[in-house]
Amino acid sequence: MILVQDLVKRYGAFTAVDGVSLEVAPGEIHGFLGPNGAGKTTTIRIIAGLLKPTRGRIVIDGHDLAREPEAAKSALGFIPDRPFLYEKLTAGEFLRFHAGLYGLEAPAVQGRLLEMLDLFELSPWEGELIESFSHGMKQRLVLCAAFLHRPRAILVDEPMVGLDPRGARLIKDVFRVMSRKGVAILMSTHTLEVAQEMCDRISIIQGGRIIARGTVGELRVLAGGEDEHLTPVFLKLTGGGGLQEIDEAL
Amino acid sequence: MTEAFPYLLQPILLALRNRMRRRERGDAARVSLFGTIGLLVGIAIFAVVFYLTLQLLDYEELGDYLVRLGLSWLFLTFLSFLAFSALVTSLSTFFLSEDLRLLVAAPVPRHRLFYSRYVQTLGQSSWMVVTFLLPVLLAVGLARCAGAGYYLTAGLTLLPFVIIPVAAGCALTLLLVSIFPARRARDVLMLMGVLFAITLIMLLRFLRPERLLSVQSLPDVTAFFATLQSPVTPLLPSFWAGESLFTALQGGIDGLHLGSLWTTALAFTILTRLAFTRHYFSAWSKAQEARKARFTRLRLLETLVSHLPLRPVSRHLLLKDLKVFLRDTAQWSQLLLLLALALVYVYNFRVLDLERIPYMSGVIKNAYAFVNLGMAAFVLSAVAVRFVFPAVSAEGAAFWLVRVAPVTMRAFLWSKFWTGLVPILVLAEALTLVSNQLLGVTPVLRVLGGVAIFFMTFALVGLAAGMGARYPRFSAENLSQVAGSYGGIAFMVLAVLFILVVVGLLAWPASTYLWHQYREEPIAPGRRVLMALSLLAALAASLATFWFPMRQGVRALEQME
Repeated sequence: MILVQDLVKRYGAFTAVDGVSLEVAPGEIHGFLGPNGAGKTTTIRIIAGLLKPTRGRIVIDGHDLAREPEAAKSALGFIPDRPFLYEKLTAGEFLRFHAGLYGLEAPAVQGRLLEMLDLFELSPWEGELIESFSHGMKQRLVLCAAFLHRPRAILVDEPMVGLDPRGARLIKDVFRVMSRKGVAILMSTHTLEVAQEMCDRISIIQGGRIIARGTVGELRVLAGGEDEHLTPVFLKLTGGGGLQEIDEAL
Repeated sequence: MTEAFPYLLQPILLALRNRMRRRERGDAARVSLFGTIGLLVGIAIFAVVFYLTLQLLDYEELGDYLVRLGLSWLFLTFLSFLAFSALVTSLSTFFLSEDLRLLVAAPVPRHRLFYSRYVQTLGQSSWMVVTFLLPVLLAVGLARCAGAGYYLTAGLTLLPFVIIPVAAGCALTLLLVSIFPARRARDVLMLMGVLFAITLIMLLRFLRPERLLSVQSLPDVTAFFATLQSPVTPLLPSFWAGESLFTALQGGIDGLHLGSLWTTALAFTILTRLAFTRHYFSAWSKAQEARKARFTRLRLLETLVSHLPLRPVSRHLLLKDLKVFLRDTAQWSQLLLLLALALVYVYNFRVLDLERIPYMSGVIKNAYAFVNLGMAAFVLSAVAVRFVFPAVSAEGAAFWLVRVAPVTMRAFLWSKFWTGLVPILVLAEALTLVSNQLLGVTPVLRVLGGVAIFFMTFALVGLAAGMGARYPRFSAENLSQVAGSYGGIAFMVLAVLFILVVVGLLAWPASTYLWHQYREEPIAPGRRVLMALSLLAALAASLATFWFPMRQGVRALEQME
């Protein structure tokens, strides 16, 4: 459903993404982990069609992003880490506008819109200006927009930021249902517990390259440890864990 | 897919409707104030152009020639203005606008995105020119008793005339962004725009059009027009626009030039669209990559500030404010423009020939000294509303840093006050002293002007800093928005009232003194007391205008939730 082949992105002499390849099958939730500056967001933004890769190929739902950008983007729902919202529009106006961008026609969209607002518990605020929303409400509105056009693949950058436990639980449930319905989900996150709980497979990126890939169990074996949690496995694989340095600095 | 490109303009229209429905505090005051000012300016432009065109009717062929030349010059000036404006606007609409992340990620065909942004750029960069041109063209038409054909031609001329430079500006922006990172390109453009504006102001001023009013300089008139004529070339759209309007004014239709305008506008639009469809994504992607902006470290500034006799907190706040200011091209380039205007202001006094009125020149000069004081104070109010009033709001989302730090709000606001005061005081004193010197006013008024502007600067900067703290807008996208907010307008109204009161309080005792000195009569003791009281009242008004808003500003910051 999401296919990334030999993706390279260079900024002058600096290589941010260096030969990344990924495949997310229908119904799979694929975690995309890595330390800060590893190349996660750059990769996600290239897949979303926001950045031009230096090299490589991206295919979404069978459509090559470079050759058929509109068809590929129509199949994708993108949830950015810092979403843009028109602050002076109401939630309803924003969603209707968003639906129009994805080709949903007016009569059909209203029912779907109410369904989404209801699902993300935003129905009472449909007619309120977005500028009056809290951070969590804005995040939920972005999720409404991303699911509005029934995408075949979801690309999500840091889904849990700013959400209360109830909101976080809601998103996890929504992702699970979407996954059961055959939607491919590629999720970049720093919350390792979420990745461990939800992802079928995980790719770890560091220095622009994929250094490990597999289920949580497979990654544990790769790291050569017996740890039950993903955090120590992640730290071993990415080489982070300088507790001695922290001790000295403090 | 919703096919029509205007669909993408929907958020702007909906936001505008919502804004009108849910008015914020001060919206009505702002609209009425700016509306009235706009209307008055429009009426003034109409009146001046109508009068001049009517006068030129008396000169038959020379009059026709001058109208024709005037129209060409008017359009030529606006052509370059539009191209620059489109260059800067399109950088924002096509590459820097926040909502592009949403639209580029959506399945929107590029040509549709292009047309929506093109229309937006067209509107944003040309509304001012069109608003200015409307009363001008209306006045010319009415003064010449033109028929309906003229007004129809005016509409048919304006649209393609505006499209051509905007299309060229958009295409040039695409080229620029493909070479430079978008933010760097914006800085370069901003600077170019300011330098262009300064050159234009200087050029127009140093041509000294007032010479035409002087009978003695009649032989120079031919040379003056020769200077004006040189840049008017038949290959420019401004010439085509001027010619088609002039023909319409005489009741004819200039199909050649009107046709040239429309075909060029369409060709430019299609070519720009092709360029955007082909290269936009590469340029947009490049614009996103500009992660590392080059900047100056300003070490010299750090050294200079470290030697100032300030408390560490004030020193760090000052250093931060100065660095932020100097690294923001939009900020200091506007200051550059203001300085150019100040230079022109001073230059006016140099060329002001009051000696032509031998008996009255002394009285007029001294009266002018007070007009000068008022004008200088008004200029510094304008500088204060743009640079001091937004000082607290400029902290933006980072204001929490100051609030959680062990810094008192008093120290914070006073630091803002001093940062604004020093440069504005230098500017105000220089303006007043130099212009009074060039004007040749009596020494008493020179001293009085220097002292008065000193206290008035304290008052106006204090008023701006204090009111800026009382009515902050931390969420404003840019500082011009803060200056145009409810608090900014309230500041300007209060500042103008203050200037009128103080100039009045100073003018009466000063003129009484000069009058008695001129007639060589002693001043009665009772009147002397009243004069002293009037001067003291001006001083008290300045101190109160400075002190109370600052105190209220500190309180407002302390009570902020």
